[in-house]
Amino acid sequence: MSAPVDNAPSTPVLPTLRQVLARAHMRLILFAVLMAGVTLTVTGVLVIRGYADRNLALIARTVAYTVEPALIFDDMDAARSGIAAVAASESVHRVDVRDPQGRELVLWRRPGDGIMTMIEGGIANLVAPSPATVEVRRGDRLIARVSVHGGAEGLGRFILSGLATAIACLVLTLIATWALARRLQRDVTDPLGRIADVAHEVRANRQFDRRAPRSHIREVDQLGRDFNALLEELNDWHSGVLSQNRMLERQATRDALTGLGNRAMFERSLPATMAQADALNLPFAILYLDVNRFKPVNDTYGHDAGDAMLIVIAARLRAGLRVGDQAFRLGGDEFALILAPGVGPEELEAIKARILDGMRQPIMLPGGQRVDGSLSIGSARYPQDSADARDLLRHADAAMYAAKGRRAGGRE
Amino acid sequence: MRSIFFYLLLLIPTVAFAVPTIQPAMLPLGTGTDATAAGTARMVGAMLEYTRWPTARPVVRFCLAGNARHAGRLADISLSNGAQLQFSSVTGSASARSEGCDALYIGRLDPGPMQGLIADTRGQPVLTIAEDDPDCRSGAIFCLLYAPQTLSFQLNIDAVSRSTVRIDPRVLRLSKGGY
Repeated sequence: MSAPVDNAPSTPVLPTLRQVLARAHMRLILFAVLMAGVTLTVTGVLVIRGYADRNLALIARTVAYTVEPALIFDDMDAARSGIAAVAASESVHRVDVRDPQGRELVLWRRPGDGIMTMIEGGIANLVAPSPATVEVRRGDRLIARVSVHGGAEGLGRFILSGLATAIACLVLTLIATWALARRLQRDVTDPLGRIADVAHEVRANRQFDRRAPRSHIREVDQLGRDFNALLEELNDWHSGVLSQNRMLERQATRDALTGLGNRAMFERSLPATMAQADALNLPFAILYLDVNRFKPVNDTYGHDAGDAMLIVIAARLRAGLRVGDQAFRLGGDEFALILAPGVGPEELEAIKARILDGMRQPIMLPGGQRVDGSLSIGSARYPQDSADARDLLRHADAAMYAAKGRRAGGRE
Repeated sequence: MRSIFFYLLLLIPTVAFAVPTIQPAMLPLGTGTDATAAGTARMVGAMLEYTRWPTARPVVRFCLAGNARHAGRLADISLSNGAQLQFSSVTGSASARSEGCDALYIGRLDPGPMQGLIADTRGQPVLTIAEDDPDCRSGAIFCLLYAPQTLSFQLNIDAVSRSTVRIDPRVLRLSKGGY
């Protein structure tokens, strides 16, 4: 198995919102718990340490007071029982009484300390070192020194329980963070992700019908609704641009009066048809047409009448076309046809005859007059007459003028 | 060489724990010809330490009565408050009151005169110590109890209550059959 290759190495892998939020929460909570825990523990340790110190000193003084007569009477049994009476109920491990020369007079140990007590005592000794030592004096005479060890299990217990509480709090807060992150995921990240999906769809696939879902968080919902409104506007704008583009294209390629293609479109269509014919290895033809009596009609009945005449002629031309044939108005009273590839000489002649036949009916002008709409047609065949577009046009043009001349000559 | 030193260091706690703790029963008497007298002097000194007279005594008048066998070293006593001992004897018809005694040490004496001597100190600031009254019936405040190797004492609460001297209550715990 190969790892998926990152095909966009320039963009680093960005963390998700949820990761960022979870990380921020985690840091914040860790910081807060640590701060609170450390502060409380240190304060507590200091306070308890103060009490423990004083407690130990108090125990030492009590022991000293209790054992003093026993020491004077040299009665070590009584001294030991006195120490036991005082120390047994306290958290004291060891009491030793030494004479001024340092010789041990009495040693008392708490019997049977458990392992937990040892651990707690060890921790306590780290922060509050024992023993507390008190001198036993009678007047000016130093009789003995009493040392009391331990006495701070409370401190050890406090530190241990503080640690346990801190860990428990940490676990609790981690669970809470997890739940919070899940909630945020559900309420914020997922809706944002869906909005992002919609945005991506719109950008990549132009799917303007997609909409961001509603959310029950005000800001996210507002964002979604604004986004949807923006999408609506974008959709309108997009379709507006499309229709405008279509209109502009129409304007650029269509003759406004007749609705046929204009000269620009003809000049584009001709090479395209030539390429198509080459590819199919079929011949095709172009026709040049000219209205015989346009100028007199225009001059006699006005431009409106001329326009009406051109519209009728265009309609008749279009009616005579086969599927794939194209009609153009090149300007003034000049028209052109491109016959789709596959047209033979006989069909060409038949089409020309059909067009001329279609124009035999007089044209009714808006003023009620009837005029003759006859045409002069010149044709050129590709590739028989020429394989060059310009040459082909010239050929068709010449043929048309020849036809016009024949017609004029025939009439006169 | 270093490892030996290390093991020696390891041994130190073991040795420390192995040392037996001193457990003397009562006041141990030393050895020597006057061991009992020295022990007696220490104990009497301790008793004087914990005795309070109605007014402080810069000089404690220490009277001896009867045939005291272990009083030979009493002169060794020195009190922590710096009070000096002034010794005198009570003989014949004299009483502790007439002699102005602050403490009365009674040696071997017949029960009759002994009780008389002690009865005379009732209501007086006199500390009475009986050397030869193991049953402590004479009415003395302190009775010394001699055993072959040790010396202990008994405190007579009744006598303390009748006297105007005050005994530190902590001493009570140290007496035979202490409370």
